[in-house]
Amino acid sequence: MTKATELTDDGLLARMIAGDEDAFTLLYRRRHPSIYRFALHMSGSAAIAEDVTQEVFMALIRDPRRFDPARGTLGGFLFGVARNFLRKRWEQDRRLVALDGDANDIGEHSVNGNGAGGAASRNGAHANGNGWHGVAGADEFATREMISRVRGAVATLPENYREIVILCDLEEMSYEEAASALGCPVGTVRSRLHRGRAILLEKLRDAQGARRVPVVRT
Amino acid sequence: MSEMEKMESMSCNEFEEIVDDLDRPGTPGMALRERALAHAESCADCARLLTETESLDQALHAIASTEGEQQAPAWVESALLREFRFAKAGAGNSNFARHVAALGIAAAVLLAAGLSLQRFESAKGIGAAKGNQTAVSTSASATPGGVETASEFIALPYADDPDGVEGGTVVRVELSGQALASLGMPVSLAGSNGSVSADLLVSDDGTPQAIRLVSQEEGASQEF
Repeated sequence: MTKATELTDDGLLARMIAGDEDAFTLLYRRRHPSIYRFALHMSGSAAIAEDVTQEVFMALIRDPRRFDPARGTLGGFLFGVARNFLRKRWEQDRRLVALDGDANDIGEHSVNGNGAGGAASRNGAHANGNGWHGVAGADEFATREMISRVRGAVATLPENYREIVILCDLEEMSYEEAASALGCPVGTVRSRLHRGRAILLEKLRDAQGARRVPVVRT
Repeated sequence: MSEMEKMESMSCNEFEEIVDDLDRPGTPGMALRERALAHAESCADCARLLTETESLDQALHAIASTEGEQQAPAWVESALLREFRFAKAGAGNSNFARHVAALGIAAAVLLAAGLSLQRFESAKGIGAAKGNQTAVSTSASATPGGVETASEFIALPYADDPDGVEGGTVVRVELSGQALASLGMPVSLAGSNGSVSADLLVSDDGTPQAIRLVSQEEGASQEF
């Protein structure tokens, strides 16, 4: 007999539907960290991330047959549910990270917009020759500060770019996995990631222009 | 620049398109990595962009590494397990209710089938009773009180198929106007004394199936 730990997500879900509590526990422990981190990065709030994680798996308990294996992976389905809860939360509660100012600064849509990208370009570095440089050998303090700035820049990305950067760069999903999670074509994932990272560089250049803190190779 | 070098060279726009994918397995950018790096060596702007992109990658990777262990607190799992047990219990109750309902439906179907069978068996009886109608009338007309006339049997409203009742019994009754009404008959049929004689065709289960009105007059007949 197959051990529960060896089962695929679909296998665990089938057992869970049959009432197997251990299967649910295993599935939760396997899948919830990425959902939690996604919600945390998207919202900037641990409390919201906890709520969203709970709601996502509550939804799975209450109506597990909403997941259709023909339409993607269970992981992708759970990310999709998490996105929906985050958006509902966003609509109900504006306590999420304020993004509008930064988005407007670079000619972008608001966080709930779905724009294909504005005029911000990597060529900012080309134009002023004052790009966001990596500096090897910097100390740990500088590393931490740099990471903090990048984290902050990610948190202020417009939503549709932020979720792609989180999935592809922080959760290290492939384009295909991210496309499944977001329910969009791979090409859209690639173009949004490209655009999102361009915006990140723009923000970091701006910040560096103001403070000249070196980037650190970790 | 030779033709080969031109073919292998990369424009700044091309470089910019793929720079995010240079270290991403399975992407076109990774396949063009060597050409991209060669381009960056000959282009200061793209070299700067490459450095920035690598720095961004490293910072993002550092965030992923330091935050990769983050997960929801234990209370979330506890709450979910409570919900799971609750839902499971609810599903169990729901299954029990479904079983009871299914048994109830099955019993109702059996009961209906039994009644249908009984009525089917009785069908011949009413046929026989109808066949004997003349005899009944005839025998009724032979009563010493005078000439008795009777209408045809009329199906009562709630009777399923009075024509199909077999083995039914004809019972002579005296009905008031109110009783007529309860049988779905016009009250006006009641005579001047407020009542009327009638024969009820009663099936084996005691249910009246049909009625005919009887009039007994000396030398006269009454058609209904």
